Parts: sequence; structure tokens; C-alpha cells
Amino acid sequence: MKPYLILFFIIFSLSFGGVASPQVKGNPDVDMDEFERLMDQQMKQSKPSNSPEKTNRNNRPFRVNGKTSNKMDKVEQRLDKLENLNRQRATTFGTRSNALSTTATGINRLFNPAISFNTLGLATYRSKGNGPEGGEHDDEHEDQHVHGFGEHETGFRIQELELNAQAYIDNYLRGSITLAMHDVEDIEMEEAFVDFVPFLNLNIRAGKYFVPFGKHAQLHTHQFPFIDAPQAVGGVVGAEFNEVGIGINPIIPLPWFSEISFNILNGDNETLFDSQHDDDFAYLIHSKNLWDLNENTTLELGGSYAFGENGSSGANNHTDVVGANMTIIYRPLNRTRFRSLIWQAEYLGAFKETGIEKETGDHNPDENIGGVYTFLQYQFLQRWWIQGRYDFLGLHNDDVPGEAGEDTHQWSALLAFANSEFQSLRLQYNYLDYDGFGDRGFDHEHQLLLQLNFTMGAHPAHLY
Amino acid sequence: MISYKNFSFFKTVFLLGILSLYFVPPTWAKLNVVGTTENLAALAKEVGQNLAVVKSIARGYQDPHHVDPKPSYMVMVNRADLLLYHGLDLESAWLPQLIEGSRNRQIRFGQIGHLDLSQSVDQILEIPFGVVDRSMGDVHPFGNPHYTMDPLNGIRIAHSIAERMSILDPENESLYKSNAGAFETKVNTKLKQWENRLRKFSDKKIVTYHRNWSYFFARFGLQYLGNVEIRPGILPSPRHLADLAVEMKRQHSNLIINTNYFPTKWSDLLAQKTNARVVVLPAMVNGIPEARDYISFIEYLVNRYEQELSKSP
Repeated sequence: MKPYLILFFIIFSLSFGGVASPQVKGNPDVDMDEFERLMDQQMKQSKPSNSPEKTNRNNRPFRVNGKTSNKMDKVEQRLDKLENLNRQRATTFGTRSNALSTTATGINRLFNPAISFNTLGLATYRSKGNGPEGGEHDDEHEDQHVHGFGEHETGFRIQELELNAQAYIDNYLRGSITLAMHDVEDIEMEEAFVDFVPFLNLNIRAGKYFVPFGKHAQLHTHQFPFIDAPQAVGGVVGAEFNEVGIGINPIIPLPWFSEISFNILNGDNETLFDSQHDDDFAYLIHSKNLWDLNENTTLELGGSYAFGENGSSGANNHTDVVGANMTIIYRPLNRTRFRSLIWQAEYLGAFKETGIEKETGDHNPDENIGGVYTFLQYQFLQRWWIQGRYDFLGLHNDDVPGEAGEDTHQWSALLAFANSEFQSLRLQYNYLDYDGFGDRGFDHEHQLLLQLNFTMGAHPAHLY
Repeated sequence: MISYKNFSFFKTVFLLGILSLYFVPPTWAKLNVVGTTENLAALAKEVGQNLAVVKSIARGYQDPHHVDPKPSYMVMVNRADLLLYHGLDLESAWLPQLIEGSRNRQIRFGQIGHLDLSQSVDQILEIPFGVVDRSMGDVHPFGNPHYTMDPLNGIRIAHSIAERMSILDPENESLYKSNAGAFETKVNTKLKQWENRLRKFSDKKIVTYHRNWSYFFARFGLQYLGNVEIRPGILPSPRHLADLAVEMKRQHSNLIINTNYFPTKWSDLLAQKTNARVVVLPAMVNGIPEARDYISFIEYLVNRYEQELSKSP
């Protein structure tokens, strides 16, 4: 049996043990027996409860006979009350201070945008490709590295540092800017857009933004359910699909949540659209539907389609991209913080025309690629998650039988400890099975990733 | 040629269909009110009676700090004329998403359909002083947001809602205001009984899981001994519970109140070490079936506290 399968069995048998006996009443985030032992130990160390020497605030040594102590108690209680009152007054008046007034200084901090920093520290080990001959450092793969998917190099690095600022600009517009630094060196403008709600049911977004395509491609790196994006997403549309354009996003008044998003994009995405003409835009339409199956469970179905001209030689070569996604989230309402189960599956496919051979007049073969992934996330304790993912890249491409193709199967398992919504530590194992040796020189590899994710400052609420 | 025409015909019908869906004019005559919690919704129902359709986003047995911003709630907020919320950062993890996602201008910040009820409350308790940061857990820098637990605040909130409903629906102004007045009279009558029943326990020290009860305790003269969680949202440590257990024994405290959306295992362990009782109580209307409106909710709490506190030695 292959080692990754054994690991999967162990992890999943553990996790399903938890599913079979969910202790909703007492959520055992820690071993309660151990907790009790430590608590007993601590209680023994504390002084016996009737010891008069205890220098507690309410049990001072001079309190000897009962009557005096009663009076002292009352005096102390009154003092406490007064102190509390003063504190409350001090703070109430304190907040009304006009020390922040900018009439004279012109330096205004009150209208600063809400700012947050998010950092992803990553330690990676890969079983193959660590030598100079194995690690591919050509430009094509460089791009994959910075987007957080594809081949991982062994070592420590800052996967991404993200700076986000958000504010209302005036009574109409709300703005958001996200800058991301990958691998310390380069800075990317991930997002810079404004949102506008002109009238009921309609939202307009303009600027550079993560386009509403599929489910995973809309996520910032720190929101990824796993440390890396699935190859099925990264290999088809790029792990982060952001473009400059305008999107019109109406809610359709139906009994369930139904949103349609129409987008006109500049179409400069290297992976998909890169027209040689300036007046060729890319167009994108996305439908998102969500039903409450019951109060604890939701089902989301989405479909996406985008098309535009690509940069292949000759004019009018189109790329069509399609996507379909499904997510089921189970989270009991009376224990929202403690237990949840998420199942997500997504398909993405890109179909790229590559023009006509001038000399022969023949159509070049289309460059098609597609992928699917599916994952399960299970929160078995307040701060603990266990997850598994299968991911395949290589649909629609016409691999010649017998020859090495670029198809990749990936199995991943992840264990996460999220102490709060501002910090998480995640350990992920990937097994990659390549369809042939390619030019990398090996046909499978193991990867181990450890990620620390932390946020400072304002923490914008996440997407559902 | 024919197929082209057909295609065009179907396309037109399809587009018109979509458009007709989109421009269906709203036919609801009643005010659509959405409260973030059942307590606010219950107060809005007292004021709106049959003139308003009132819905709550969080269920009564749900922790209002942690609600998923489900798109189905966006639909709810999308159709709202008035949005009521606690403020003081109670809903900050999810309400902004719902307001943005709802694409409803009328309930956005600063609009007439947007009502932060912490503004109606006279005194906000437990405003931290000095520097506040996240090492303190889920601290609320603007003070304790569980103010609906004080029935006098309930009255104030009802009046604020009545005022806002009157602006949104001026024809029925007198009805809203008289409803709020009637609610005030009902609560005031009850309040005297409630105070008489609980004031006599002012020397009892009570342990609670979270500080949901500050306003309730302040109104009825009850006292905290401590909290099971170390700081808001931070799970207890053995040392913290041991200290609390020793203190409970010393001060003869034997009542632990656990709100029904928090796990009880730590309270149970503490009770076992101190011979105390754990009482699970709702913090919201509809948190249990008996608490179906605001007054029956407070009534239920007063009953349970009286019952449990009179058992104490």
C-alpha cells in the first residue's frame, strides 16, 4: 500500500471517529481528564479556604472579630461601587474628548481607512526536485510560485504579506485596496476597487478586483481552505484571478439567494486572455445560488463563463473558460463556533484557440486544459480542523497515449489549529502523482507544508 | 434562417422574463423589519404589532457574536425597510457583509432604515479603560453589548424603534407610539414584582460563563463572583478554574449560570469541584420555547434565578 494512502486512512479514521460520536453538549477541545488533573493540582496548591492568613482583598489580617469585619465589608463595598462609578464616568467623558480635533493641525486620524496586515509564513519540504537539476526555475514556473500553487521549493519563506485598506470614500462609494508582497521581493496590486449601490438589488464594482469566477479563484491566499490552491484552479485560471474591469452584480428577487454578475474586463490575464488588440475585452458572467437546506445546512451552486481574445498569433483567437462549483456547509446554529463540515467540489476548463498556420491554412490544435478538485473540511473541536482534498489537472488536453503528459493527480491532507480568527497554524501533506516524468525527471513526489497565518489590525469579515 | 429567428424569439422571451422578474414592484404594505437578534426582533414586534413583519437573523439559541454571513440573510436584509442591531461591535464579524451584500441602500449606515440601538441605552456598562488590544480576547472596546437583558433598556429600545417606524410609516405614527407606551406600562408593572423577587439575593455571588448578565444583574442587584472563561471568548485554563473553585468555596457561592450557546463541560467540572449547580439559561427570546416574547423571556429568567438562588444555603 502506498504511504500516502496509509496516512489518509489514519487521518480519516480519526476524523470519522469524531463524526460518529459528536459530543455536542460538552465540546472536548482538550482532554478533560488531563484538564481535571491539572485543576486538582492547582487547587491543592492554593491555600485552604478557611485560612485567615490569606492576603485577599476581602480578607485582610486586621479583620478579627465578626462585627468589625461586617462593617469593613460594607465600607469596602461602598468604596468599590464608587471606584467603579468613577471609572465608568472617566471613560464615558474620555471618549468625548476633542483632543483629536483637526481644525488647527489639519492632521486627521479619524478618517483613516481600516487597515490590516496579513502574513503567511511557510515552511516547505519536498521529497524530490531539491537538487539543481530538479528545481525548475524558468519563468513559466516562477509565475506559479508567486501565486502559491504548483511546485513548492524546500525551505522557509514568506508565502505572502498582504496589506488591505478599506473605507467609505463618500456617500456613494466604498473603496478597498489590497497590496500583496510575494516571497519578499515583488509587490503586486491585487485589488483596488470601489463598490457602489445605485439602487435596490444592484451593486457595481469597478477597478482591479478578484473576478467572480468559480469559487476558489475569488479567494485571497490567506483565505485558501488549504495552504496552496488546487492545481485544478491554478493550472486553468491562475490561483488568483484578478483583472481590471467593471462588474454589475444584481440580486435576482427569487425565494433563494441568486446573484448574477456581468463583467467587462480588460483581458490582460496571461494565462487566459492577452489580446494583441487594445479594443478586445474579455467578458465574464457568473451565477451564484444559495439555498438553506435547513437552518444548519446550506447548498451553493455556481456557474461561470468567460470569453475573450488571447495572444496567439493571428486575430480572433478566442479563449473560452467555464466553471461549475458546489459547496455544502453544515454548521449547527447552536454550536456555530465549535463544529462544522464543509464539502466543496469545482470544475474548471479553459479552451484556447491558437490560430491558423499561415503556410498550410490548417488550424493549430487548441490548447485546452481542465481540472477538478473536491475537498472536505471538518471542524471537530473549537480550534481544530481536519481536511482532505483530491485534485486533478489534465482534462481536455489531448495527451498522446504512451507519451508523458502533464496530467497531475494530487492528494492532500491538512490539520489546522486556529487559536482565534486572527491566527492559525496549519500542517499539510501533499502527494503528487504526475502522468509521466516530463522534464522534471520524476513522476511523483511528497510535500510537507507548515504555515503560520496571522492578521494584525482590522479584520474584514470573510465571505461565506 | 428559421432557426435564427427562433433563437432570437426565445432569447427575447428569456430576456424579458428575466427583466420582468427583476422589476416586480414591491407589493408589501407592511413595514419589513429585520433585527440581528431575537431580543431586538421581539421588541420590534411589541411596537409594530400587525403593522410590521419582523424577522430575526440570529436564532434565540445562537451565539450572536458568531453568525455566518449566509447569503440567505442578505436576501432578508435586502427586503428590509428597517435594520435593527445591537452595535458596540457585537455583530461586527458578520453584519457588514450582510449590509454590503444586500444591495439595499435604505438600511446602510447613516440611512433612515439603519438603527443602532446601543444609542438608545442610557449607560453602557464595562467600557474598558486604558489601552485595548486583542491579547484581552474578544474584548468589546465600546462596552458590554448585552444591554437588552435590562427591561428598562427594553423600554428605551421600544421607544426608539417606535420613533423610527413613525418616520418610515408616518400614517401609523400614533399606533407605533401607543404600542410602545403600552409596552412600557406592561414592563413597569412587571418590573416592580421582578425587583421584589430578586433584590433579596443581592448578597449571593454568582459565577457565569460569559458576561452576558451584567445588565440583568445591575438591574436586579445581583453580583458576579467570576467567569468561567478567562477573558471574553478565551477558553478557561486549569489554573483559572482552580482559582475560581477556591474562591467559590471561600465565598460560599454555589450557582454557575451557563448561557445555552456556550458548552457546559467546564462549568460542569467546576460544579463538581465546588458542589455547585450549573443552570443553563437562554440569553435571547426564543432561546427556549417558554420565552416566546420579551416579557415572558425576562419572566422566565426571573423565575429561574429566584428558584435557584432560594435553594442556596
